[in-house]
Amino acid sequence: MNEENLSKFESPISIERSIQAELLLLLGQRPSHGYELIQRLNEADYQSGEADAATVYRNLRRMDKDGLIKSHWEMGESGPGRRLYELTPLGEESLKVWAQYLAQQKSKLESFLQAYFQFEKSLSVTKER
Amino acid sequence: MLRSKQALRIIHAGALEQVVEKCAEHFSKQNSGLKIEMKAVGSREGAQRLLSGEKYDIIALADQALFAELLVPELVENYFVFAADQIVIGYDRSSKGSKEITQRNWMDMLLQPHVSFARSDHHLDPCGYRTLMVWQLAEVFYHKSGLYSTLATACLPYSTYPKSLDVASALFKGNVDYAFLYSSQAKQLGLPYITLPSKINLSNPAYADFYDQAAVSVESTIPGKDVIIHGKPIEFAIGIAKSTNYPELAKSFIDLLTGVDGNLILEECGFIPC
Repeated sequence: MNEENLSKFESPISIERSIQAELLLLLGQRPSHGYELIQRLNEADYQSGEADAATVYRNLRRMDKDGLIKSHWEMGESGPGRRLYELTPLGEESLKVWAQYLAQQKSKLESFLQAYFQFEKSLSVTKER
Repeated sequence: MLRSKQALRIIHAGALEQVVEKCAEHFSKQNSGLKIEMKAVGSREGAQRLLSGEKYDIIALADQALFAELLVPELVENYFVFAADQIVIGYDRSSKGSKEITQRNWMDMLLQPHVSFARSDHHLDPCGYRTLMVWQLAEVFYHKSGLYSTLATACLPYSTYPKSLDVASALFKGNVDYAFLYSSQAKQLGLPYITLPSKINLSNPAYADFYDQAAVSVESTIPGKDVIIHGKPIEFAIGIAKSTNYPELAKSFIDLLTGVDGNLILEECGFIPC
């Protein structure tokens, strides 16, 4: 199952898709509403660029529809009621696949950089001669 | 159940006119024979109408903070955030300078002689005080000291336009060159618009602390005593009046607006469903 899913991630990841992984992780950590998720996403070290409200809410609706997350209205104690999102078992599985995929990518990038540094070193040796 | 000659009464932000009308149309199909009366107002004005004793079953406002400030707990028990938006500068192809205006030079373009721009009344309408907040934040963001008061002086008199819908209508008719509106309104009218940086357009909760430094004084319910409103991300909210005789029907309407069909209508009308 994981091998099969991993193969789907071979194409480069778009920002739109990587936001889904980030949202799954944040919701795995704790259920949240959209407003809070946007704030947490923009504070996260792994976020590159700004996550805008339209992109986040669009992805939350899509993931809700796909069964990766579920939502219900939660009344605020002193503020407004908001839609609260939480991870489903399918979402948990998807998050695991994302983590495996990213680990694989990290390993590939490390191999690339190792090869590059060796190449860079060989260039400087050639110049010294 | 509603008897004949009775109606479900909805008071709503002018900016929500299309959304409420489409939801009402949908809702009427599910509830044959149901009469729905809708009243579009500036949201502060809407809350004040309720406070003065006018009776409505459902209240949909352009600023969720108005519920806590004016309506909860006396008139409304619970309210729900259902949509987000941002402030943009709408214009028309025939607006002066429309080919040159950009996200970088908008203030210089608006301040040119013979160029007119408008906003709604901040005492009655959240789009009005949000526009003033955008100008305050722009002064900080662009490091242009005095920008806020320069824009405030050059803008057409705000009292001409009680709500953002009136500003949008003036723009659509060609009575003004530029108008500060919600992006949903520009989209609904098919008008081009300049998107402002997210640090000043009140769209992103990530900048809530930055937005908070903007503050506008508006008339309160006590004559002669103003209240200060601070900048916040733009959120629309809806609630049921405690005095309604039709709580089940009102709840069903809100379920429609906040459900799948409502989300589609909100998207069609250019809002971000929350």
